[in-house]
Amino acid sequence: MSSVNDVIIVKDLTKHFGQINAVDGIDFEVRIGEIFSLLGPNGAGKSTTIRMLTTVLTADGGNATVSGHNTATMEGKCAIRRIIGVCPQDITIYDDLTAEENTVFVAKMYDMNSEEAKEKASVLLERLGLAARKDKTKNFSGGMKRRLNLAMALVHEPQIAFLDEPTAGLDPQASRTVWDIIRSLKDLGMTVVLTTHDMDEADAVSDHVAIIDEGKIIAYGTPSELKEQFGSGNVIEIGFFDQDRLDSAIEKIEKLDVATKVTAFGERKLLVTFSGGMKTFFRILSESIESVDDIENMSFRQNSLEDVFLHLTGRRLRSN
Amino acid sequence: MFTVMFYFIFGTQEIPSTQWTIYDFALPGLIIYAAGALTVSSAIYFANEKSKGMLERLDTMPIGRKNTFLGFIIAESLFGVISIAVMFLIGYVFMQLYFVNLAALFLGLLVAILFGIQSVGIGIILAAFARTPESANGIAMVYYIPVIFASGSIVPFDSPIVYVLPPFWAKQVYLQLTVLGDSLTDMMVSGSSYPAQVIGIPLWGGLLVVIGLTVVLLALGILFFQKKTTF
Repeated sequence: MSSVNDVIIVKDLTKHFGQINAVDGIDFEVRIGEIFSLLGPNGAGKSTTIRMLTTVLTADGGNATVSGHNTATMEGKCAIRRIIGVCPQDITIYDDLTAEENTVFVAKMYDMNSEEAKEKASVLLERLGLAARKDKTKNFSGGMKRRLNLAMALVHEPQIAFLDEPTAGLDPQASRTVWDIIRSLKDLGMTVVLTTHDMDEADAVSDHVAIIDEGKIIAYGTPSELKEQFGSGNVIEIGFFDQDRLDSAIEKIEKLDVATKVTAFGERKLLVTFSGGMKTFFRILSESIESVDDIENMSFRQNSLEDVFLHLTGRRLRSN
Repeated sequence: MFTVMFYFIFGTQEIPSTQWTIYDFALPGLIIYAAGALTVSSAIYFANEKSKGMLERLDTMPIGRKNTFLGFIIAESLFGVISIAVMFLIGYVFMQLYFVNLAALFLGLLVAILFGIQSVGIGIILAAFARTPESANGIAMVYYIPVIFASGSIVPFDSPIVYVLPPFWAKQVYLQLTVLGDSLTDMMVSGSSYPAQVIGIPLWGGLLVVIGLTVVLLALGILFFQKKTTF
């Protein structure tokens, strides 16, 4: 149900490429000033959704409005382009220009004069740690190019920033720097729409997450809500050598009535989500496993959005 | 480079019983050859903008495809205009090749520039069908090299096929106006060397063909490229 606080409203949005349903009738809303993530594996329909919302693609069905402007009409597209900033998944910068020239080039597209564009670019590049580099961007590292890619989406201070996999290919430290930047955008009053296949990223920066798979939204909520929905707390993942042992373990765990969710997935693997602590952990193991020889591998961790995805689809996000 | 190289090969070879050297006739062809190379560079440039995603990024900004195209075409054409101007400067100022008068020289320059812009149009058409800059380069070379030779721009080629090839019209109009001193109402000739068979349309008609081809090929280029990059 949409409200006056929703800056993006998507209803039954559909996009086909030939026989493939890239986006298959999705619905969601994004509130003003929040960080919203579309989380899903590669090919789930995240980028296609973003491309429709940023007016690059025309939807085959359904409706989407961005700040009240319809993405399907030319008038709406023109209005949307004035208020959004887009950081594409691919690094699209001019290699023969400097970081400042690239950023100023984009700023001027939004009717800024040279002086204003240079000033905005300078402040932003300073924040992103690129101000010191005065050489051409062809000499930049992958991480620096990605930060510049982000700067080019933000230099005109858009109302809504669409960031398509902004940390793809970055090392963990660089990714965390980008997360900080994304969080700071919220403080500036910007609405951020993010696509990612990294559940840690979605968990760390998002106010709301929509999990998308095969063109459909399969779950929506805050990261905590989603994790609670499938059992907040802890997760045991057990790989069995034998299918019969797996089936028997599932039966026993369900009888114990301590697990919030039990899902079999992959090749003889079991995911058990439960809210208790170590005591419950040992109880589950001792009551459900006949012999340690039955176990091929096992892990114990805190519940994450990865587990939510696994419970929902029977597949891992990472393996996609 | 071509201008200088060919000058040392043909520059002193006179055409018997005329006031011209072979190079007076060769330079217009070479200039058209150089302007035609914009087909290759613009095909690569447009395919690169497409495959790198810059075109899509620009599509999310409030500038519109019309302005994006205009920017791309101006950038490519400007590069071509500078190259053509440099060739004119080397040929007609430093090497003192023959031209009728300054007005005729200016018309020749205009025709060469028009052909350069026309070549950008062809480059855009080819880029529309290319997935990568590498394939755009390949497709453009497959088009450009045979066409430039079959049009008789580099060496005389007396065949009816020249009439359907854009470089022929540009080179012939430029050659006749600037070197042979024909007026716009004089008849065009079919070959790339003088004297040759008369076509039967006046030079202004040839000039109209050059202008028409430029407009049509640019429009087709934008149309195809737009169609292939809009979903």
